[in-house]
Amino acid sequence: MPNPILRVEDVVKRFGGIIAVNHMSMEVYENEILGLIGPNGAGKTTLFNCITGVYKPEEGKIIFRNEDITGLPPHVIIQKGIARTWQKVRPFKKLTILEAVTVGALLRTPDVDEAKETAKEILEFIGIEKNRWNRLGSEITLIEHKLVDLARALATRPKLILLDEVAAGLRPHEMDELAKVLLKVREEYKLTLIVVEHVMRFVMGLSERIIVMHEGKKIAEGKPEEVANNPRVVEAYLGTKPL
Amino acid sequence: MPGTLSKKLALTKERLYSLVGLAIILALVPVFLGFNFYYVLLAADVMLAASLVAAWNIIGGYAGQLDLAASAYMALGAVVTGHLLANFGLTPWIGMFIGAGSAVAVAALVGYPTFRFGIKEVWYALLTSALVVIMMRIYYLIYGSFETYIPHMEPEWLYLTFRRYEVYYYMLAAMLVIIIWVNLKIKDSKLGYYLAAIREDELAAEALGIDVRRYKLYALMIYALLAGLVGGIYITLTGILSFRLFDPWLGIVVAVMGIVGGLGSISGAVLSAVILRSIEEYLRGTIGATYPGSHLLVYGLIIILVGVLKPEGLASFIDYFKKKITRRGEEVG
Repeated sequence: MPNPILRVEDVVKRFGGIIAVNHMSMEVYENEILGLIGPNGAGKTTLFNCITGVYKPEEGKIIFRNEDITGLPPHVIIQKGIARTWQKVRPFKKLTILEAVTVGALLRTPDVDEAKETAKEILEFIGIEKNRWNRLGSEITLIEHKLVDLARALATRPKLILLDEVAAGLRPHEMDELAKVLLKVREEYKLTLIVVEHVMRFVMGLSERIIVMHEGKKIAEGKPEEVANNPRVVEAYLGTKPL
Repeated sequence: MPGTLSKKLALTKERLYSLVGLAIILALVPVFLGFNFYYVLLAADVMLAASLVAAWNIIGGYAGQLDLAASAYMALGAVVTGHLLANFGLTPWIGMFIGAGSAVAVAALVGYPTFRFGIKEVWYALLTSALVVIMMRIYYLIYGSFETYIPHMEPEWLYLTFRRYEVYYYMLAAMLVIIIWVNLKIKDSKLGYYLAAIREDELAAEALGIDVRRYKLYALMIYALLAGLVGGIYITLTGILSFRLFDPWLGIVVAVMGIVGGLGSISGAVLSAVILRSIEEYLRGTIGATYPGSHLLVYGLIIILVGVLKPEGLASFIDYFKKKITRRGEEVG
């Protein structure tokens, strides 16, 4: 087995009496696309927020590239190289597409012009038309939002991107387009991707490995087709057969 | 890259021209007013309001924090400058920087815990509004209800004492040009991009590596510095030190002018301050005399009208025309 880029060790996160993430452990390997699935309320997004520093886990450790990053604030975590996109798009409504991506690129340089050049390269690479670059965040379509969100994250030069329900609300052909972009991006920037997803068609087609969460725990792990036929997974999604 | 460099120079040149143009227009205002004492004083007052609104634009417009404490920082700059002059005979040229420094210190002291505990939106507005009142009470505790008059000396530059208002007008106008220049500088810098991102979505900004608290604090401190300097100049004009300088109403008016101008637009902010302050004074001079208080009624109506018809503020007019020109240029090229 290669060295994991991210290791989640025994992480626990509670909200009052509810345990959202319950002794969850997993490993993510360099340059892979990992799908993280599970029914609603399985704790996927909470785990996400623990990794990106939005929440501080009560127990356990998160190790990124052999460095303990547990409990660091989000703006430090991204400097280490973990970027994220949002389930519900969070656009900068009054900034243009180009400006929004420039904000991301400014993490690695104080020079605005240099950051703009980086932003242009990335926008071109992920295929947003040049004539759209001056559109405001309030004027663009959903798929463009998702792509800008991705471009913004890419501009921070991450090693690992966490995609939170990136396919939600998209039409099937838009999903295919997005999947293509993600594969292209991984190749070009030597990235590792974690995809949290509800749309099975999208995540099963894209991921090389899948981890299934249920009630805050990992219940299955493996290749997409293995996981899909795992009886525990079927049970988690559909419930047990009544006697 | 030579291409980007020349483009950058061209942009700053364009801005430089508009700043120089503005300076020339401002310089000619007293001439158009016929050097009339009252009108020049009014013009100085308009410059004061515009300077404060332009300074407020950094925290309110760029960083998106509804700050109502402009008068606290201005008044602190004013009373420190004034008391150093009245009690110790220190020239306002040095005093105004000490005053502005005190304003920055208060801003840092208040801003650090405020942003640390994530106080924002209406709660931030309440907190800053309270700050004005608290500072007013503190001044009251020290100096009571007395008014201190800065001794009137022979006209001279060292103590900024003059017999005519033109000099004060020009100093405040120069301050306005400087503050606009600072605004433009910030807008094009990393700080400007980061503040805009914070204004639009704090969580997303933080996820892109922006230390939200630190950058908000920077914005607050720059704003306090500029407001403090404006206060230092203002006190040499009025010469009266009083707890009334800490005026909560002024803090709100500055924010209202900034919002009516359009958040984040420096041209809108200045334009709105000039228009609203002039209208207010004009109304007070005309109907305010016959029907006391009615000028505020009309003034309020104007603000409501702008709010209903153009919620984006005056800046949206400016943007609309600008965009029309650039978009057309793009399509041709």
